[in-house]
Amino acid sequence: MAATFTIAVPSKGRLKDNAAALFERAGLALRKTGHERGYSGVMQGLDGVEVAFLSAAEIVHQLESGRVHMGVTGEDLIRETLPDVETSVEFLKPLGFGRADVVVAVPDCWIDVARMADLEDVAAQFARAHGRRLRVATKYLNLTRRFFAKAGVAGYRIVESVGATEGTPAAGTSELIVDITSTGTTLKANHLKVLEDGLILKSQAHLFAASGASWTDGALGLRDAILDRLSKAV
Amino acid sequence: MAAESARKFEALEAQAATLLETFRCGGYEQVAPSIIQPADVLLDQIGEVIRGRTYVFTDLSGEELCLRPDLTVPVSRLYLERHPRADAPARYCYNGPAFRFQPKGVSGTHPREFRQAGIECFGVADRDSADAEVVLLVADAVKSAGLKQFRFRFGDIALFYALLDALSLPERWRLKLRHYFWRPPAFHALLSRLAKGEAPNSDGPVAALAATLADKDKARAEELVADYLDRNALPLSGNRSLSEIAERLLDHGADLRSEPLPREVAAVIDYYLAVEASPREAIDRIAMIAKGAGIDLGPALYMLSRRFDLLQARGIDIGAASFATEFGRDLEYYSGLVFQIETGGDGTSPIAGGGRYDELLRSVGAPREVPAVGSAIHTERLLAAIEGES
Repeated sequence: MAATFTIAVPSKGRLKDNAAALFERAGLALRKTGHERGYSGVMQGLDGVEVAFLSAAEIVHQLESGRVHMGVTGEDLIRETLPDVETSVEFLKPLGFGRADVVVAVPDCWIDVARMADLEDVAAQFARAHGRRLRVATKYLNLTRRFFAKAGVAGYRIVESVGATEGTPAAGTSELIVDITSTGTTLKANHLKVLEDGLILKSQAHLFAASGASWTDGALGLRDAILDRLSKAV
Repeated sequence: MAAESARKFEALEAQAATLLETFRCGGYEQVAPSIIQPADVLLDQIGEVIRGRTYVFTDLSGEELCLRPDLTVPVSRLYLERHPRADAPARYCYNGPAFRFQPKGVSGTHPREFRQAGIECFGVADRDSADAEVVLLVADAVKSAGLKQFRFRFGDIALFYALLDALSLPERWRLKLRHYFWRPPAFHALLSRLAKGEAPNSDGPVAALAATLADKDKARAEELVADYLDRNALPLSGNRSLSEIAERLLDHGADLRSEPLPREVAAVIDYYLAVEASPREAIDRIAMIAKGAGIDLGPALYMLSRRFDLLQARGIDIGAASFATEFGRDLEYYSGLVFQIETGGDGTSPIAGGGRYDELLRSVGAPREVPAVGSAIHTERLLAAIEGES
């Protein structure tokens, strides 16, 4: 439960720059307080709002626990991390940046594979030939499990990968991947292709509200004011 | 365990002592495999569905480990440590904790940490009598612990394989159906797709390539696929060989040319998978289905019947038991008879479960196939059921 009204925004990278520009356009410029390298700030033009600069992943946890009222982060992280998205957070507004598709991609030399249904056949053949399951490299463990289960694909196992996931099939440490792509260039450069029905999620940055935060009348007023001004600036 | 009352802890300890005593008297040596297991071996066997419920972690050296989600694989590994050539029969019993994440929250019947007591019988070539031995010993154990009312549910994976072998099918479809048996929703989709004769991937340049392969032999097909990959600058990666890719394209090509699966054959499979009755009645029905289809299931049905005779003669109430051809489709390492012990309810929280898993040991490193059958008791559920009876 946060005593003061708090909004969490990304502290680094493109998400940070895009969020800062959006708040600026909305007349709600974010200013750091204290040391330039510090992690808290204020919102110019709206009193009583504390800004917390956090990593996009940490923002998800802060929203889940209700320690912040609002937050800007990627839908992919929200859907991957939260076991019960609908009861933990409210999707207030898609923000038009941080666009990335979470996709299933296989080596482009697998010319016999075009769809998710092919994967289970390949898994069966692979198990006969190699005595093990297909390995899927990804950091999206939960999104992958849910999507594969829905597609009826079970003959695989996940190997966790937090960086350079696209390189793992060529390096031989995985057979296929689940990863984000925005233009597809990186996938192509690594000789990977997205399956025809392999789009797991079209993600972008959203403005979220935490269901578990303390929603006093004052807090609700601030929430509406921020949402209103941001909506006009998106 | 911290949250348990002292009384429940003592009751479980006393019950475990009774169960282990019964197992030891039955000729089973007590073992205690490691609680922390290498994640690799386990996850390759059980797959993502149970992995989603397994506590997997990386230690400081970077090794991927897990808390064992059940004891069958750990006990199998222990057998191989003692008998690397897998050439000696062995009978082991155990009692110890297993761990599973409960996605719908932890409850009394679905704890995240629970104790399994069980037996595993390795390397006994007379499969019928080993199966009966394990079923009887587990029944004795729950009885000795004090359970009065219970019934068995049976299934038989080998019988399904015998059915596929007896039906007239191209080998590529037989392999496919065997694999999809473990994925029930996809299985039905596959069966109706085969029966409708829809070929997968029937358009595009790859389908065209597949069509040109159809009458080629394997070596020629590989050459053509290699040419295609070269021309399109597609280097091999992802650990699949040229011959694996060519083999699937050959199958596509064959599917494009072949007649659909005859509807009668698809219907026989459907009828078979719908059988659920008392064991005797189920066997009669399966025999009738086979007769109607003009096929011979070979020794599989006779062997199943013989197992029930053995169990009946040793005091198991086979008349009160049930048999379902679908039962056992959720744990991929089973290969023959499968069973569970149920008390009340719908059988979703069985007291004990087990079955034959002849292919598991080779996949965890044995140099040959090892006949194996075992069973585990969910001891918290057993205790609750006994307390519920009195």
